[in-house]
Amino acid sequence: AFKEFTRMRFSDIHPNHITFITLLSGIAHYPSQGRLFAAPLHAYVCKMGLDRPNVKVGTALVDMYSKCGFVDSARLCFDDISEKNSVSWNTMIDGYMRNGKVDHALQLFDEMPVKDAISWTALIGGFVKKGLDEEALECFFEMQLSGVESDYVTIIAVLSACANLGALSLGLWINRFVMGKYFRDNIRLCNTLLEMYSRCGRVDFAREIFEKMPSRTLVSWNTMIGGFAMNGLVEEALILFDRMQREGFKPDGVSFTGALTACSHAGLVDQGLEYFDGMQNVHNLSPRIEHYGCLVDLYSRAGRLEDALSVIKNMPMKPNEVVLGSLLAACRNCGDINLAEVVMKFLVELDPSSDSNYVMLANMYAAVGSWEGAGKVRRNMRTRGIQKRPGISSIEIEGGIHEFMAGDKSHSQTDSIYEILELLSYELENYGYIREAAVPEL
Amino acid sequence: QAQKGPVEAPNVDLRSMAMEGKVKEIIELMEKGAIADGECFYVLFDKCGNPKLLQNAKKVHDFFLRSTFRGELRLINRVLEMFAKCGSMVDARRVFDHMPDRDIDSWHLMIRGYASNSLGDEGLQLFEKMKELGLQPNSETFQAVLYACAGAEAVEEGFIYLEKMRTEHGIEPQMEHYLAVLDVLGASGHLIEAREYVEKLPMQPNVAAWESLRDYARYHGDLDLEDHLNELIADLDPSKAVADKLPTPPPKKRMAVNLMEGRNRLPEFKNPSLYKDDEKYKAALKEQGYVPDTRYVLHDIDQEAKEQALLYHSERLAIAYGLISTPPRTPLRIIKNLRICGDCHNAIKIMSRIVGRELIVRDNKRFHHFKEGKCSCGDYW
Amino acid sequence: SFATPEDIAAERRKRKRQLRMQPPISPARHQQQPQQQRSPTTNSNPNAPKIPEHVFVLTGNRLNLHNKILKIIRENDLDEAALYTRHSVYSNCRPTIFTCNAVMAALLRASRYSDFLSLHRFITQAGIASNVITYNMLITLYCECRKPDTALEHYKRLIEDAPFEPSRATYRILVKGLVDNNRVEKGIEIKDEMLSRGFDADEVVYGYLMNGCAKNKDGDKVLELFEELREKLGGEVTNGIVYGPLMKAYFLKEMEKEAMEKFEEAVAENLKVKMDDVAYNLVLDAFCRFGKFEEALQLFEKMKNLHNPPWKLTVNLGSYNVMVDGYFLEGRFKEAVEVFMSMGEKNCNPDILSFNNLIELLCNNDLLPEAEELCGRMSEKGVSPDEVTYGLLMDACFKGNRPDDAAVYFKKMIDENLRPNLPVYNKLVEGLVQVGKIDEAKSFFDLMVTKLKFNFASYEFMFKALCDVGRVDDVLKIVGDILDEGSIDLNDDMQKIVKDGLRREAREEEELDRLIEQKENEKEEAKRREIEEAERAKASAKAAVANLLPSKLFGNKEGSNENAALSGNSDTVSSNEVQASGEVQAS
Repeated sequence: AFKEFTRMRFSDIHPNHITFITLLSGIAHYPSQGRLFAAPLHAYVCKMGLDRPNVKVGTALVDMYSKCGFVDSARLCFDDISEKNSVSWNTMIDGYMRNGKVDHALQLFDEMPVKDAISWTALIGGFVKKGLDEEALECFFEMQLSGVESDYVTIIAVLSACANLGALSLGLWINRFVMGKYFRDNIRLCNTLLEMYSRCGRVDFAREIFEKMPSRTLVSWNTMIGGFAMNGLVEEALILFDRMQREGFKPDGVSFTGALTACSHAGLVDQGLEYFDGMQNVHNLSPRIEHYGCLVDLYSRAGRLEDALSVIKNMPMKPNEVVLGSLLAACRNCGDINLAEVVMKFLVELDPSSDSNYVMLANMYAAVGSWEGAGKVRRNMRTRGIQKRPGISSIEIEGGIHEFMAGDKSHSQTDSIYEILELLSYELENYGYIREAAVPEL
Repeated sequence: QAQKGPVEAPNVDLRSMAMEGKVKEIIELMEKGAIADGECFYVLFDKCGNPKLLQNAKKVHDFFLRSTFRGELRLINRVLEMFAKCGSMVDARRVFDHMPDRDIDSWHLMIRGYASNSLGDEGLQLFEKMKELGLQPNSETFQAVLYACAGAEAVEEGFIYLEKMRTEHGIEPQMEHYLAVLDVLGASGHLIEAREYVEKLPMQPNVAAWESLRDYARYHGDLDLEDHLNELIADLDPSKAVADKLPTPPPKKRMAVNLMEGRNRLPEFKNPSLYKDDEKYKAALKEQGYVPDTRYVLHDIDQEAKEQALLYHSERLAIAYGLISTPPRTPLRIIKNLRICGDCHNAIKIMSRIVGRELIVRDNKRFHHFKEGKCSCGDYW
Repeated sequence: SFATPEDIAAERRKRKRQLRMQPPISPARHQQQPQQQRSPTTNSNPNAPKIPEHVFVLTGNRLNLHNKILKIIRENDLDEAALYTRHSVYSNCRPTIFTCNAVMAALLRASRYSDFLSLHRFITQAGIASNVITYNMLITLYCECRKPDTALEHYKRLIEDAPFEPSRATYRILVKGLVDNNRVEKGIEIKDEMLSRGFDADEVVYGYLMNGCAKNKDGDKVLELFEELREKLGGEVTNGIVYGPLMKAYFLKEMEKEAMEKFEEAVAENLKVKMDDVAYNLVLDAFCRFGKFEEALQLFEKMKNLHNPPWKLTVNLGSYNVMVDGYFLEGRFKEAVEVFMSMGEKNCNPDILSFNNLIELLCNNDLLPEAEELCGRMSEKGVSPDEVTYGLLMDACFKGNRPDDAAVYFKKMIDENLRPNLPVYNKLVEGLVQVGKIDEAKSFFDLMVTKLKFNFASYEFMFKALCDVGRVDDVLKIVGDILDEGSIDLNDDMQKIVKDGLRREAREEEELDRLIEQKENEKEEAKRREIEEAERAKASAKAAVANLLPSKLFGNKEGSNENAALSGNSDTVSSNEVQASGEVQAS
């Protein structure tokens, strides 16, 4: 595109606004390559005097800058647009969200004269991407109150938030809400519903939706297989994997990830290997690192550390922290501290900031009573300035999400909670439970 | 009565709003200067009689104190009743103590209020105070007093007051007093005594008496007594026969009536030999078996364990909160940001059996569906 | 000094009331505001007494739960009732003590003592405080199990710790239990304590005590108790329950005339004395025990005629049991069975205890066939035989020289999932060995060794029996099993028996030592193998690590698409997100 543009310049044809919009969005789509061209192009646009009066060009500029990460420049351009339309506003909000400037986005949003579904969606989608799921939901409720009709993109974003939070009752409500709308048969939406239900642990609902879907895409199948696998319904996952092929869908890498996850979940080592072979030989897919990861996981869970190691050794790429993490967890389960120490060394190099691996190693030492070793790991963590991420668990009660941290005493019903926990820990001992060495939450 | 016209008009609205139970809205209006009339307050006091509405009740009372009706005995009595129903006898007592004059109803309301808030003893003390002040209790007073006895589970006092009623105050007990004594016995769990009491009544017990006794048998879980009383009731009033009643399973042994004193040879033949599966069961469930020692000392959490308790991992806290917030046997869904630790995994597995629920935990790796002591991950996790 | 006993009672009550009311019973009660259903227990001793909940709390959801559980109890699914109660503790609707009591009452009714205790332990731990009914049931249970001392301890706990007083019913239950367990003296002590705690003299308690004394043939004590009661009640005793024991006392003192006078008084037409089924039964018992069987028969007929449920109950299971005993004393065995089987009306059904009683009587009178027939007819009355029934029949079979049938009953017991105890098993095996049925004895040994936890004596007996017939190899096999299982040590006596047996068979004593050694070796071998296995796994892992060269790990491998791998399983999520974000732009 740039070559063409240069040729155009040379041939003395004056580019008009359409040209620029095309160019700008071209840069926006490939920010990594286009970054260099951003400023010069902007300058050229200015020279042509197109930036201020032409809202479309201005918006394209904003879009470009924000996608290239120059959000301040984007704002300047935005401010320069003399007659902003809703698209410019939305683009700017999206730009802020994209670059993590939530406050700015919100401020801008509040200033916006007329908010349409896209503005809301930009906000909600931005929140979801930043992991601010609760804010996303709040925003969605506000949107409902303001009477703006949501479109399916909004719904997809909200459902993702539900899935992340495990907010099942809201998810259910949205499902009903969606069923009453015209986009009932939207496949993407259905896929997101599948995702939401599987991630909320209601894989039965997901299955129901899946079965009722008028048509399915590869993503639907993959989501469903993954859902079954995640929820421990291994047999269902594998049956679906077969059915998918019978119905003429060609499994891709993601499908195999699902199937392999299912196998490792159930400890079906041989079957897992079969799938792995089939993937290469029958389907001609070259395994990616996540597939090797599954394989390592498969062996690790089955306690076959040796085989897990040989997979790592023989795979064509270098192992990442996910793969080594599986191996470390396996070491923990087998109580093999020596191997764990070695693995840990590599892990530290690969992912020096990860807390969970340190904690796991410390716990392994604690489990075998080696407090010295545990202490060493902790010191090591401290010197590297690694903080343990706090474990947070949440539960949804009557539509409200309640979050807890270890030893949390902030909940209004703390007394009752601890009372029931005391009773439970007493009963647990009656039922033969033996507490493991005290370990901090992973 | 000087205020007519403009002020009267909104009052009508307030009153009808009060009838509809729009307490909050009325409070808002009054905060803006609307003035309620006596009738309106009367209705409001009635509507605020609910523990959840205590704050509103207090606000309404504040407005009442600022109103011209604050001296009306009839209304103040309603205030007493309202606070009693809100479960705040402290507030009721404050109002009561500040009353310029009280009628017998005020005393009754207070005594009953104490009783229904499980503060029967205070109710009885108040009655003593009433007598000290030289007030003459009437038949209704004694009903309230006996109700307070039931609230305090004060069996002896119940009989004493019944006696005093006749001897000191010359009031002949009526059926409702006897029924009130029956309540004292029933509420205190003295079922056998209650039954004998009804049988010995100086008058023919009516269906209400038997029904009251039957209800207490039900509350206290005495199947046989309940069945027997149901037969009596059906005999007295066939319309009250329980249709489609389940036949009660026969007791294994009728110890109370079989006159087989000390002839139970079961211990000789059955126990206490140990069966191996019993042992296994006990190993899995270290509970007392047949006829254990009397005093099992309850589990007192020692200091170390208390410190441990502080370390309860977040998923356990979330589960505990889920448990006390939802009906029995409904599944719980917990979401955790990190991977679940082995100890918790093991504990939650057993927990799912103890609490009889499916516990679904999503950690950052996968789902764990814990059910009846097993996990869907089959411990490959 | 007071003019009448009523004055004393009034004064006593007054004192007691003052005691109760000033200071108000316990501050704990004041905390129980309806708003805070669960009072915080932090830092509180779980063994400290708690105020049980008041019946007023049984409303709304908790009442619904109560009714739901009552329904399950009526359906006779006690396991479910108990389980649901437990599960409800872990919910937003905690069961009240009333619901727990209902379940425990049903368990007690079904003689499921250990389930009762297990539930009681659980609710106590869960902070659901017991009320007087709970205590009454506990005391009943221990009395039924013939553990009067434990029952007394619970009574003591009630007096010392519970924030409420025992009821009259508590004393009735305790005194009856003590009398039933031949602890009349202690019963009288408890009666005195009851009086000292401000209770009226209770005719029923006195009745039980008098009957206990009469059973111990202490007529004077009976009369003494009666006089004491009469004095305390102001000269008039109207509850018929004392008349039976009173008559027994006169009979004991051979004052038949006085006894019959008392009888006339009890059943006089003016109805001054209140006679109910229990009272009649005690009179009936007096007649039967003192040779007045004709009178007993007449009275029994009269009782049956007067019986008019639901209002007038004069006959119950106890009446029939008394009559059965009476017939037996008269030697009229067949009629006893007939009368017993003729009962069948509601409230008047035989229970397992009564059946066992009758079977025992038949067996004691060498009427084994009749006993067996009765056992077969138990199901007619909806009762099934228990361990005692079969145990009695087994005893009788051995006595009647029918060891094979005894074995059949034992087998039946096992088949019906009943649980005979070790003494019953020992009796069976000993009986079989005595008549030379070693094979059968061995087969029962094999059957039970997997189920019952045998003691040394049971093993020794079997060893001896087998050695005596020269089956040393069988013994050695058992020894091997014992060593394998390790649930019991091979003690010196057992070893000696085996060695003696070996010697008698002209075999080497060392065979046993060798066996022991071999088993030990096997165990060690297994252990060693396990360790080796673990070592080997470790070593091979280490070797693999060594091969996993750092250079290889961090070498320039292809495909550094790590971002994709990072998202791993969540591929679909990210793809959806991508879609979603794409849409923002598109629209």
